[in-house]
Amino acid sequence: MLIELKDVNKTYNNGQPLHVLKGINLGIDSGEFVSIMGASGSGKSTLLNILGILDNYDTGEYHIDGRLIKNLSEKQAAAYRNKMIGFIFQSFNLIGFKTAVENVELPLFYQGVNRRKRHELAMQYLDRLGLAGWAGHYPNEMSGGQKQRVAIARALITNPKIILADEPTGALDSKTSEEVMQLLGELNRQDKVTIIVVTHESGVANCTDKIVHIKDGVIGRIEDNREHHSSMFGTQTIMK
Amino acid sequence: MRFDVDTYREIADSLVRNKSRSLLTGFGVFWGIFMLLFLMGGGQGLRQLISANFQGFATNTCILIPDRTTMPWKGMKQGRRWHMTYTDVERMKMMVPELETVTPMVSNWGQEAVLGPNTISGNIKGVYADYQNIEEPQLRYGRYINESDVLHGRKVCVIGKRIYTSLFPQGGDPCGTMIKVGPVYYQVVGVDFNSGNMNINGSADEAIVIPLPIAQKVYQRGNDIDLLCATARKGFKSSQLEDRMRAIMAREHQFDPSDRNAMFVINTEQIFAIVDNLFTGLNFLIWLVGLGTILAGVIGVSNIMMVTVKERTTEIGIRRAIGATPRDILGQIIMESISLTLVAGSFGIVFAVLLLELLKKIVSMATAGASVQADPEFQISFWTAVAAAVLLSLLGVVAGLAPASRAMSIKPVDAMRDE
Ligand SMILES: Nc1ncnc2c1ncn2[C@@H]1O[C@H](COP(=O)(O)OP(=O)(O)OP(=O)(O)O)[C@@H](O)[C@H]1O
Ligand SMILES: [Mg+2]
Repeated sequence: MLIELKDVNKTYNNGQPLHVLKGINLGIDSGEFVSIMGASGSGKSTLLNILGILDNYDTGEYHIDGRLIKNLSEKQAAAYRNKMIGFIFQSFNLIGFKTAVENVELPLFYQGVNRRKRHELAMQYLDRLGLAGWAGHYPNEMSGGQKQRVAIARALITNPKIILADEPTGALDSKTSEEVMQLLGELNRQDKVTIIVVTHESGVANCTDKIVHIKDGVIGRIEDNREHHSSMFGTQTIMK
Repeated sequence: MRFDVDTYREIADSLVRNKSRSLLTGFGVFWGIFMLLFLMGGGQGLRQLISANFQGFATNTCILIPDRTTMPWKGMKQGRRWHMTYTDVERMKMMVPELETVTPMVSNWGQEAVLGPNTISGNIKGVYADYQNIEEPQLRYGRYINESDVLHGRKVCVIGKRIYTSLFPQGGDPCGTMIKVGPVYYQVVGVDFNSGNMNINGSADEAIVIPLPIAQKVYQRGNDIDLLCATARKGFKSSQLEDRMRAIMAREHQFDPSDRNAMFVINTEQIFAIVDNLFTGLNFLIWLVGLGTILAGVIGVSNIMMVTVKERTTEIGIRRAIGATPRDILGQIIMESISLTLVAGSFGIVFAVLLLELLKKIVSMATAGASVQADPEFQISFWTAVAAAVLLSLLGVVAGLAPASRAMSIKPVDAMRDE
């Protein structure tokens, strides 16, 4: 098991305490392509943030690759985020005053990779995502799909084991959504990257091999979707 | 913190991105360091300019000058004149052993000095050899009046700069030449170029210094002297001895010892102390104003960095999410703060140096014709500039601390929750 959650609980304590995750048990193997679905407010993003060590959980255990992720120092957490995990967000979260290639380079900057090498690598990844011509452009000069591909390049550049995507298609139209999902699928198949996608679009979930349903803070049904038949509209395209 | 070209480019970028904001904030620091350095240089130059006036004058000297009494004493009416005599010199030496030099002067103003076709009006000063302990001559040529001149009653003189340039317009060593002053011929033995403005009985420039007994004889002064100069030994202050000297004089010449106006006393030590205090006060003010202004500038930087951090919360969150440690963030903010302070401050240093250079030129032009030969140094030293730069860096760090700690406390999750 690459990722293992045992009875993970999380309560938000600002003002009224809100018990969001009520004992999550979940295992994900290396190389899986998983989606997490659930109603709005069911705790999907909260779970994903815990998986990405962006946030802490209260009780339970979370292991990555057998190592317990708990009470890490900021430095250790930063190192995990930098080397093991790549993030893709609904709102892309590119840095606006940096060009596409500079955005992609950034994780390597924090690894201490030298300037030329990281530029070279960043160009390679942009090329792979069909954005070589856009390297010098700023995010506000690009379409949503292009921005998301830049974000994917940035997530990939450190060669992470896990990619976590929080509604990566949430801000995209159906055609670009499909492209992005295809891209993630390819990455999963070719590079054997473990990918976890949070979504509430069944079409998006249908692109993944396994669908985890979360309801009221606990894991409900776990669907095997290797046949990609879960969505009645999902076989051909992603409906918006 | 990782340093490479991009680190610096990023700092430059973020400062340039908010051009007017950086400019306005930087101006506070620029103005602060400029004020401090310019005032420091100006104060230093002013002090040197004023000190030049006291050049060559003993700092621990009392000058006693007889005047009319202003109080009745033992049946004598007020308004009486009294005279000092040479005996007073010997008496002071004996009765006040704390005095180092006690030396009298007899003077006569407005004497015509003549050599061939050249004439100039000067002041005769009759002195003893030890008068040079009071007003140190700066001999361009020859020597000062010595003991044997006095002993043998030689008619010799030491002339001041203006007398020299007027009587000897062609320059050269005048020693040995006879000049006529008033009714008498004197042989020039020295030229005194002292140009301080602190003089007794007229400027050294226009003085014709001769042995005192000659002056007494020529001007029929008998045993009288005009005034008496006394310097205190090391460890004693002339101002402390003043009252005793007053009492001795009062007893001898029969005036009320509490009659402060009967004898006029100039205490150079007090004058120097006043000037010294003035400059100590001025310096304090300079530091207060200078540092205060810088501090205001630095607080401005801190403030604006705070705003920057708040504006860039999301960006910082993204950086943290993709692997920046809190130290990376700290370094980035502190470096930005240092850069802003240091760049703005460097302009301040350069501007202060340029303006001080200009001030120096103006002052040296203005004083070129003056009698006081001062070459005041308004410019700050190289090390002062270096110290200022170090101070700026330190202040940059200080300014960055609060914003940086705020930036460090930004958690990636909070930052990226888009509201
Ligand atoms: N920082 C926070 N402080 C307090 N409550 C929070 C915080 N973050 C999330 N919540 C609450 O926790 C619950 C779960 O939030 P979460 O973002 O995980 O939902 P989600 O499943 O991702 O929903 P959506 O599909 O709308 O994105 C919500 O009720 C939300 O209001
Ligand atoms: Mg969410």
